Amino acid sequence: MNWPAAPASGAQSAVERYLSEVAARLPGSPRAHSDIVAELHAGLVDAADAHCAAGLRPAEAVQAAIDEFGDPARVADGFRAEIAASLARRCAVAVLVTGPLVGMLWIITAVASHVPPQHHQWADLSPGLQVGVPLIAIAAGVTACGALFGIAATGRLTRWLPALLRRAPAAAAVAGFGAVGADALGLALLGVQLATAAGKLSPWPAAAAAAASIVRLMLARRAARRCLAIRAGLT
Amino acid sequence: MRAELLKGHLDGILLAVLEPGPRHGYAIMEALRDRSAGQVDLPTGTIYPALHRLERAGLVRASWSTAGGRRRRVYELTPAGRRALDSERSTWRDFSAAVTTLLQPLPLTASPQ
Repeated sequence: MNWPAAPASGAQSAVERYLSEVAARLPGSPRAHSDIVAELHAGLVDAADAHCAAGLRPAEAVQAAIDEFGDPARVADGFRAEIAASLARRCAVAVLVTGPLVGMLWIITAVASHVPPQHHQWADLSPGLQVGVPLIAIAAGVTACGALFGIAATGRLTRWLPALLRRAPAAAAVAGFGAVGADALGLALLGVQLATAAGKLSPWPAAAAAAASIVRLMLARRAARRCLAIRAGLT
Repeated sequence: MRAELLKGHLDGILLAVLEPGPRHGYAIMEALRDRSAGQVDLPTGTIYPALHRLERAGLVRASWSTAGGRRRRVYELTPAGRRALDSERSTWRDFSAAVTTLLQPLPLTASPQ
């Protein structure tokens, strides 16, 4: 048997139907699990070939392959935890990698705008900065902890501690929302500086830092929400 | 053999099937059946999530390859996978020896008085 080159047949549509039943039960976008569907498709074709070689007619061979693969719900259930793990891991890695980059842009902005006081006296900072900078540090710390846990809980450690995997989406969501908080605080401080001491602000670094924070904030928020949604679907 | 009986040992079994060399999903299933003389017969669809789990744990490496005009995802053991297989083997030897001993019928001893 040589399809998908062959014209659409009843046998082929039975395979498509099976695959779409699996895909419908997988969390996330169809694009995210196209590789899984392609791999199952290749397996079903191989199985149908084997049944053909054993003497079944093509249509029977395809049905035998589908029966052999088992309940689509069970196959999808098996993949659900893996999809959640890979989403959580990608979210955690992205947040952890972009954090220092965006932070560096804000530090460059502060230095270029002569925000650090002359003699490094904390009391010389404006009240907004005195409140905002520690809050950003806390948000960054929460983000880093969540992200590191998310990465650890989806890696090799799960061989010995499989229960960690279930906590990974929540940890990644914490990291994502922590990044949202840190970026929002950075932008708020920029707003305060614009309102009170706009003349001192170095415009280009500030614009670059603000743009980076806005992009990161939106992406982190979307990723964190996805992690929460996928977590809700885990049993 | 029922799937429940295999639970907890599937990872080791899959690693053992991959020990001789790389294989794609369906070839892994066929090797599983052949090597167990048909005793192990899981729903084929459940092999794939298990392989993805092993890949995430760093025990196997997967890559797409094209042969005869067909794209398949091919799995092979990593060095960590070989080490994990060795430890699965020794764990299983100890476990099966203990269970064999425990399940052996005891010779009847003197009845209680």
